[in-house]
Amino acid sequence: MIEAVRNIVASPTLASIAQNTSASVAIETTLKSIGRPGFILIDKDIDGDTKQYAAAKEFLYQATCLLIYMAAIVPIFKKGGFKLAKKYIYKNTKGFEHFNNVREFTRYHKIAENPSLTSRCNILGTEVGYRTSIKPVSEMFSPFLRDQLMSENPEKYVEVKGAIELSNLIGSVLGLAIIAPQLSHCVIHPALRFLGLEKKNKTPEQNSLPVNKEVKPEKDVKNNNSEKKVDITA
Amino acid sequence: MSFVNGIKNICYKLGSNNKPTYVVMAIAAVKGIARPTFTMMDKKEKPETKKYTALREGLTEVIAIPAYWACGELSAWGANILFKEKVGDKINPALIKAKKNLMFMGVCTAALFIIPAACSVLIKPIMSKMGLKAPKTEEDNNPKLDISTNPPQKSPTVQNPIDYAHINSYALYMKRPQNGMKVGGV
Repeated sequence: MIEAVRNIVASPTLASIAQNTSASVAIETTLKSIGRPGFILIDKDIDGDTKQYAAAKEFLYQATCLLIYMAAIVPIFKKGGFKLAKKYIYKNTKGFEHFNNVREFTRYHKIAENPSLTSRCNILGTEVGYRTSIKPVSEMFSPFLRDQLMSENPEKYVEVKGAIELSNLIGSVLGLAIIAPQLSHCVIHPALRFLGLEKKNKTPEQNSLPVNKEVKPEKDVKNNNSEKKVDITA
Repeated sequence: MSFVNGIKNICYKLGSNNKPTYVVMAIAAVKGIARPTFTMMDKKEKPETKKYTALREGLTEVIAIPAYWACGELSAWGANILFKEKVGDKINPALIKAKKNLMFMGVCTAALFIIPAACSVLIKPIMSKMGLKAPKTEEDNNPKLDISTNPPQKSPTVQNPIDYAHINSYALYMKRPQNGMKVGGV
């Protein structure tokens, strides 16, 4: 039992996700989109309509933030940050000279993270589809990088990894705290209207505290009162 | 050049150990400043509503920052229980991985359970201590008789009707409500 827990806890796959800013932020935002609406729904102090509305709004907010983040912010900042660091900060040194783009580095880093030399050699020997033809993995890398991967301790290129993570971090902060919330406002209200949780003429403030506005026609009211009168006097 | 060197140092640190708490705490810190600012800049809302919403948003992030840090660090500390610190002379590589993974799990737990729970428990008392209550809508300020709220499903009927013709007037008086203003005698 303890051994199984240890295996899960020290899993290299989980470690690579935990070290990847965009992956960890995406997972965290997904959990937020479950947790926050869930806690709103179990709150006993709020009435049913308000709970439903607030939970749907929170879920849509987190979901649109995640979509915008994954679709636009991550690719732009990741690629832009790498190019900026390669050209202006490191000026094609400290390992940047071996990689032309983020994808090349990610591919290298994935294999270099593997601690076993034999499994690394096995990976390099396998064939995969690469630019419309099937090639061994080893041919995707330059001879220098191939030698690095086949050595006992391959170079990790910490600076390259750090530059990508820093650009991801800046992108995540700007994206999730400033850009995505502004853009999500354009999506949330039409989506809530589509779900029937918001009316077109209502202001958002009024929607946050929905009041039962259905008023019965006067006829029914009169009938109810007259019924009461009859029953009491009987 | 110091700016470039600073960025190089940050890149080196993030490349060698990118803690999952860094990014979530940075996002929470910027959100804690940006979201209330945007709310206060909204010209459509009432000042009372803006103040309440901005404070609520700010407080949520103020709770989130220490929660992320504490959950991450406490979870990472748990790795010391599961793994030995050293294997021979070298630091146990499994311990390093476990620390990163557990920190990530701690951050996820904070996002899923701890922060929403802490917010729902703490924000209301803090707001009321600060003298801020949820702003009322127009309906709350001008309450109207809402007839449709809990409409009578059944007309009230008397289960066992009393035959008033066969009981004396004292008994009839006693059956009447004994509180409130009464007009006339028995």
